[in-house]
Amino acid sequence: MTFGNETVIIDNMSNNEPKSYSDTRRASTKSLSAAKRDALWLHSISNNQDARALSDLFEIYGPKLKGWLMARGVGNGTAEDIVQDVMIKVWTKAGSFDPAKASFATWVYRMTRNRWIDHKRKHGRMDVRDPDLMKIIADDEVQSAEVNFMAQQNSDILREQISRLTKAQQMAIRMAFMEYKTHKEISEETGLPLGTVKTRIRSAIQALKANMAKHIGQMQ
Amino acid sequence: MMLSVDKKIDISEDAITEYATGNLSPAKHAIVACQSEICEEVSSRVAFQEQIAASMIEQVHTKALSPLFMGNVLANLPPQEAAPNIVNLKNNTPGTLSHLLGCGLDKIKWKSLIPGVAVHDVLGDRNNKAGDRLYLLKAKGGMQMPNHGHNGEEWTLILKGSYNIGDKVFARGDLHIEDEDEIHSPHINEGEDCICLVMTQGPLKMQSLIPRLLQPLIGI
Repeated sequence: MTFGNETVIIDNMSNNEPKSYSDTRRASTKSLSAAKRDALWLHSISNNQDARALSDLFEIYGPKLKGWLMARGVGNGTAEDIVQDVMIKVWTKAGSFDPAKASFATWVYRMTRNRWIDHKRKHGRMDVRDPDLMKIIADDEVQSAEVNFMAQQNSDILREQISRLTKAQQMAIRMAFMEYKTHKEISEETGLPLGTVKTRIRSAIQALKANMAKHIGQMQ
Repeated sequence: MMLSVDKKIDISEDAITEYATGNLSPAKHAIVACQSEICEEVSSRVAFQEQIAASMIEQVHTKALSPLFMGNVLANLPPQEAAPNIVNLKNNTPGTLSHLLGCGLDKIKWKSLIPGVAVHDVLGDRNNKAGDRLYLLKAKGGMQMPNHGHNGEEWTLILKGSYNIGDKVFARGDLHIEDEDEIHSPHINEGEDCICLVMTQGPLKMQSLIPRLLQPLIGI
């Protein structure tokens, strides 16, 4: 596998990444290399039609995405079909991946989630339309407005910041993002009023956002 | 993006959390996806929470892909798409919506309801009482919509034109959420037609006799 233009990518990224974090942020150096590695693979997929890089990416992300789908109640076969669709989409759309906007992990997560919603839409009770029109719910191609905040983030820094939240806040984040339950379901299960559930989750997200902003501020 | 004096970006952090984790119905999911395409502020709030959700993938129990998965996908890769062209929103159609419609807003076949008002179903059936429904609504500039309430929530994302309710102005990119207790009668502002993407959960409750009599016929 060749990374013919890797310097271009690295330059692109370093323009958007804080420059002097290496001494202070060992943990994020490791994570940054994961994000860089993914970006290089993406670059090689789009520039060199490098199928090997695609396969390398999905050796890592495929089982995670399949695990996420199955944790959400999707059956084995359907989960694999969705991962396959996403993998093909990563191949065909690799040229639209922009490492300055989001990490590959976020990009591929968003595609997988949207494809799953699309699947629910097609197989749920709401499906009354002509199946030909029921194309992919638009996902990946979403034309986001510029998100500068994103450019400087990286999922491992985020995880590190999550681990610095209070236990209660971590639990709220976990409830909201890992247990795959709606706020209403969380409220029913915990016996907490819906308003309380929402407030706890919201304030944990706000705390995380504030920590991230501070952290990024320190790194710049 | 159009800015109004009284800017309404009526989406809660809770709804964004549910969007990021994939817990919204397909109709609500599509509304939030569209709003994040045309409203910068919502876009960055969504991006932040999607990043949290994506980082959780690392903690999911992975599920191995079947042995033939990789070979099958790699043997059947379609051609890659050309480098991303700058997606234009000139026809006012968010990518999510054009995927669902199979065309842009300019190509829609509208169904006239009452003089000055036309609709186009996107997901589900407006006459069906169960489930979230998504449709486009077009109202002529200058007209007063019939006074109505709802049996459930109503989410209205303004795509084109503007309307006001009292002194609140709703314009492109704004999401206007009403619950079932509210009765309103939007006034469409002069100048251009107003096109909205609307999610409703139950039939509208008309306040005056004539629309009430018409409702079964026109189906809003």
